[in-house]
Amino acid sequence: MPERIRVVVNEDRCYLCGGCAGVCPTLAIEVHASGWEFFQDKCISCRICINACPVGALSAEPLEVKE
Amino acid sequence: MSWKYDVVVVGSGIAGPIIARNVAKAGYSVLLLDKKPAIGSPKQCAEGISIRVFDKYDIPYDKRFINREIYGAKLYSPGGYELELRYKEVSGVILERKVFDKMLAHYAARAGADVLARTEALDVIRQDGKIAGIRAKHEDEPVEIYADIIVAADGVESMIARKAGINTYAPPHEFDSSYEYEMLIEGFDPDLIHLWFGNEIAPRGYVWVFPKDEDRANVGIGIASDHPETAKYYLNKWLRENGIPSRKILEINVGVVPVGGFVKELVKDNVLVVGDAARQVNPMHGGGMAEAMEAGTIASKWIVKALEEENLSLLQNYTKEWWETDGKRLEKVLKVRRVTEKLTDEDLDLFIQILSGADAEKIASGDYAEVIKALLKHPKVLMSRRRLSLLKELL
Ligand SMILES: Cc1cc2nc3c(=O)[nH]c(=O)nc-3n(C[C@H](O)[C@H](O)[C@H](O)COP(=O)(O)OP(=O)(O)OC[C@H]3O[C@@H](n4cnc5c(N)ncnc54)[C@H](O)[C@@H]3O)c2cc1C
Ligand code: SF4
Ligand code: SF4
Repeated sequence: MPERIRVVVNEDRCYLCGGCAGVCPTLAIEVHASGWEFFQDKCISCRICINACPVGALSAEPLEVKE
Repeated sequence: MSWKYDVVVVGSGIAGPIIARNVAKAGYSVLLLDKKPAIGSPKQCAEGISIRVFDKYDIPYDKRFINREIYGAKLYSPGGYELELRYKEVSGVILERKVFDKMLAHYAARAGADVLARTEALDVIRQDGKIAGIRAKHEDEPVEIYADIIVAADGVESMIARKAGINTYAPPHEFDSSYEYEMLIEGFDPDLIHLWFGNEIAPRGYVWVFPKDEDRANVGIGIASDHPETAKYYLNKWLRENGIPSRKILEINVGVVPVGGFVKELVKDNVLVVGDAARQVNPMHGGGMAEAMEAGTIASKWIVKALEEENLSLLQNYTKEWWETDGKRLEKVLKVRRVTEKLTDEDLDLFIQILSGADAEKIASGDYAEVIKALLKHPKVLMSRRRLSLLKELL
């Protein structure tokens, strides 16, 4: 299992281009006209979105796993 | 609010308004919606397109959205070799997409379609196991749009098709990450588009200069989206290394382009997916406007037939016809992309030296069998088992 992450956006860098939503395999990101939205319950921590963002606006934070 | 249309089209980029226009022309009610407050803005594009599309897709050659006419292309290898392809006649144009997309929506509206900006599709409406329409939001107001046929033309995000159960997933290697400046730049022939290749320049992709004016161009880059560095990093590096001043920047454009992974099933019951949402883009150069127009034309033909004959199963013919025509061509182009991404900088130097401009054009459009056969006879190819086997993958 990869390390569970939370994906966070740097809004000052993000252009709302929709690319991360497009590459995400699970629809865990939605890019609205008014903002970027992340759905933790859908995310599989694959980091595809983080690599794909053309401006490096996304990063990962470790998610505390409750035993 | 609740509305009813024959067809609802989500996304007013290129594919969406072509479909809305064609369906409205045939006399059916259609709503075209886009989440953007201003259709066409911001652009996520280098704006280059072949001159042929205007006649082919019945689009007026209107100077309001044509920045510059282009006469060919110039390719640069990592070692500095150049390959020029120059026609006597105009071969393409650099559009102003902010105006172009808006005008395409205007043509749809003029043909009878309703068009609504700042209206975002949020989900599909399911009723009795079928998809009955789209749940949307106009500004902050919820809207339910019921329609017999739903078209997902929502670009790279491809959310609506996926929520309708169409599999539009493609692995990250099948996308390019792009970053672009519209900026003042001098020293490049403004009658040609310019493309730079190289593994250190743009991993898997290229740097482009698409002139919009004598001294102004879209200067951008695409790299494989699974590459750990950003597209922005590589573009700034290229500008710096080439000593190109970059303090006259008019726009910054960002986007991710599908370059493979064409969607297999383009229709599910009464839902169709087109354009970037269906990953219908040329995988070699990442151009997808002409492809979106072609797919939109095929899709609208079958939408109209399905409505005329009140038989939604006819929509499946869109999948069939697309795959037999443009899909087949793009599969061949994808093969070339898979080969070119294995080329070393040395290989690129060699091929740019020995290919003619016409050869390069054939390769990028998928019509390359003769070119490859000729290359296989070239001594520098014959001497290298690796090059031979790479090229043979294409036959
Ligand atoms: C940097 C870059 C450079 C490019 N350069 C070229 C080029 O030079 N030539 C070329 O031919 N192609 C180029 N392309 C590709 C080209 O831009 C696309 O292939 C083309 O725009 C696809 O058209 P489309 O109609 O499928 O999608 P789009 O043009 O992306 O339109 C989709 C529309 O749907 C809207 N939308 C999305 N989700 C929703 C929703 N939920 N509700 C409502 N609306 C929604 C969006 O706002 C958008 O307006 C480039 C792409 C990039 C990123
Ligand atoms: S890919 Fe990057 S710039 Fe584009 S919407 Fe996602 S976070 Fe923002
Ligand atoms: S890490 Fe993977 S699953 Fe999570 S949001 Fe990014 S792309 Fe989607």
